[in-house]
Amino acid sequence: MACRVKAGFWARRFLRNLLAWVAIAFALFPAVFVLGTSFNPANNLSTTRVIPRNPTLANYYDLLFRQPFPIWLWNSVKVAGIASFLSVCLCALGAYAFSRFRFAGRRAGLLTLLLVQMFPQALGMVAIFLLLKRIGEYIPWLGLNTHPGLILVYLGGALGFNTWLMKGYFDTIPLSLEESALVDGATPFQAFRWIILPLARPILAVIFVIQFITLYSEYLLASILLKGERMYTLAVGMQIFIGEHYRDRWGMFAAGAVIGALVVLVIFYALQSQIISGLTGGAVKE
Amino acid sequence: MRVWVSGRGNTLLRALLKIALLGLFDALAVYWCVLFLWEGNWAFLGATAGGTLLLNWLVLSARSYPLRYLFPGLFFLSLMVVYPAGYTFYISFTNYSTGHTLSKDEAIRLILRRTYSPTPPVSFRFWAFGESGELYALVLRGEKESFFLSPEGEISDLEGHELIDRDGDEVPDELDGRPRLTRRELFQHIKQLQDIRVRYDEGWLHMANFTEFRLYLPRYRYDPEEGILIDRKTGKIYRPVKGRFVADDGEGIDPGWVTFVGLQNYIRFFFDPRYHKAFGRVFLWTVVFAALTVVLSFALGLALAILLNDRKLRLRKLYRALLIVPYAIPAFISILIWRGFFNTQVGLFNQVLHSWFGIKVPWLTDPFWARVSVILTNVWLTYPYMMLISLGALQSIPGELYEAAAIDGAGPWQRFARVTFPLLMVSLAPMLIGSFAYTFNNFTLIWLLTRGDPVVAIGERAGATDILLSYAYKLAFQGARGNEMGMASALAVNIFLIVALVSGISFARTRMLEEVSRGM
Repeated sequence: MACRVKAGFWARRFLRNLLAWVAIAFALFPAVFVLGTSFNPANNLSTTRVIPRNPTLANYYDLLFRQPFPIWLWNSVKVAGIASFLSVCLCALGAYAFSRFRFAGRRAGLLTLLLVQMFPQALGMVAIFLLLKRIGEYIPWLGLNTHPGLILVYLGGALGFNTWLMKGYFDTIPLSLEESALVDGATPFQAFRWIILPLARPILAVIFVIQFITLYSEYLLASILLKGERMYTLAVGMQIFIGEHYRDRWGMFAAGAVIGALVVLVIFYALQSQIISGLTGGAVKE
Repeated sequence: MRVWVSGRGNTLLRALLKIALLGLFDALAVYWCVLFLWEGNWAFLGATAGGTLLLNWLVLSARSYPLRYLFPGLFFLSLMVVYPAGYTFYISFTNYSTGHTLSKDEAIRLILRRTYSPTPPVSFRFWAFGESGELYALVLRGEKESFFLSPEGEISDLEGHELIDRDGDEVPDELDGRPRLTRRELFQHIKQLQDIRVRYDEGWLHMANFTEFRLYLPRYRYDPEEGILIDRKTGKIYRPVKGRFVADDGEGIDPGWVTFVGLQNYIRFFFDPRYHKAFGRVFLWTVVFAALTVVLSFALGLALAILLNDRKLRLRKLYRALLIVPYAIPAFISILIWRGFFNTQVGLFNQVLHSWFGIKVPWLTDPFWARVSVILTNVWLTYPYMMLISLGALQSIPGELYEAAAIDGAGPWQRFARVTFPLLMVSLAPMLIGSFAYTFNNFTLIWLLTRGDPVVAIGERAGATDILLSYAYKLAFQGARGNEMGMASALAVNIFLIVALVSGISFARTRMLEEVSRGM
């Protein structure tokens, strides 16, 4: 009897691990396959070998020195980086007001921010396109086909769910710290800048990273607003490899995919637990 | 903490600096307002004036203090989310589209600039004179009269100018001591010559070819009283119909202008055969696509979460880290990778299927299989999120509940169906709704994987995998026969209403907002 229970235990354990590995294979095969392809000299779609026979860095060389890829990558990092930084500033200011002040419209404001999230900015794409075209007639560097213009559009999403996250964090910082500062003659803004912000560094970093990953992957608005090939962000530019020459540029595309994904993968796994609890709305308790 | 030491002088300086900056901004704003007023750009004028007043109130009033912190974020929210939403609503009631992008005044101004050459043409032979690469002047000779014409377009008679015809061939050779330009020399000044427009009679003189200037008369006359346009060449009368001047025989003049069309765009989506079939199909597919994605990826995610939730599983941390890889790779990259795999001739899937079973599946070229591909890819992209939220929710279910259920004699399946699942749904329902709303508008997936293709019916804009948002994108920016911004905006408003309805009902039923507001 005891022996049978034990056998069942081991069988179940084996089964669980087996299932987990099957799922992991499903999760990983595209990444593994593309990683292999990026080192494959054949450079076309019709290779099914995961580990290439004669590994080479030729795809990476071509990509970095013969294609506009580095420019796109830089554009993406620049636009997403600046927009995320400014978003965090706007978001922190807003969250501080919601956390520390009591004013008319506070609850309504917080709920509105949550509801606005249900409707993607992309629904207003026609209007955003026309608005930027109009702005460009007065301020050319802020119009269509400019990075400042795209950043301006992205800043519209600064207040939203992230404000809730940040407000929640501010709420946990004890008031006594600021009160003593205020007694010493500081203005509320000084208290915010020199007490709250340093203490809130972890949540600032997490929201910056979440915003960065989101904007780095944003496709629709960037594709409408950016027209020149040298202005593209990576999300818009990568498609070039899948045009009519998809088959012969597969190796180069794979190399680009590896580099483009690594930028985000590294940040994601470095801050894994915080990012996940942020993205899943605090549903995951570590 | 030196920063807290702020003397009186410091405060005064701050206040002065604040006022100075505000003054500077106000001056700039007034400048902009005058500019907008001058151009009659009422929307920008209102926005600038209102924004400036608000800013002054914020900086100067003590009561507005908390709003100062919210203002920067709210400013961009209004400019790039709220305003576009309102403007989209407005466009959805207009005929904004290719050929209808101007205001009526602008369109009339453009049309009135058109000219025609009367028959028989009134023409003037011309010769140009100058030396050492400089254009000095032109001489125009018509049937009755001759003129002197400066390169700046000023016309006068030949009185006071010396025109010499040496060989008597009726072609002047010299003007005021400067030789006639050869054909080649003339060519160097072609741009300058083409720009010359001289008022003459009721129209203009303009270069017609290398030897002649011709009289061009304004083609149309606008009668502001009647609001009609009269063609002076043919005498035809054009009346404004739906944002365009149209004659009685149906002939129209471009460009048209933006005008209100009421509910026409909305009605078209339901009754116009060019749109209503596509709209119905796309709507249905969007709902099926979003629902299937959520259900399938939640099922997979939940199963994996239950698997990983076993504390006896030794490598669960590693497993979890590996299973969320699809979540960590930027979607635009993994979607393109999947697209490569789906390639019918040489993609990974068909190569494997072909070598193992000898079959090839038309993944992205057949409507049914394209839809399968879309859902398969999206399940791969979405299940890590579902797994993570399920893991969190599973961990928050108290263990005593299971013990109690076990004592009551419930088996594993019953425990799952009667205890775990209902409890999970309570906490996860809002996130599933959110996920549904997100998938409903997951443009990036559709566009990068299939572009909405394959085509279902010839001449129909929407393909088999188009969702409402990608259909709107096609209408607005990818039109084969011009872009239909008005139709696209009406579609966007429809999407907005659908999402609002779905989330409104769900939130009311799950009472999520009440719970949230209790936490504030």
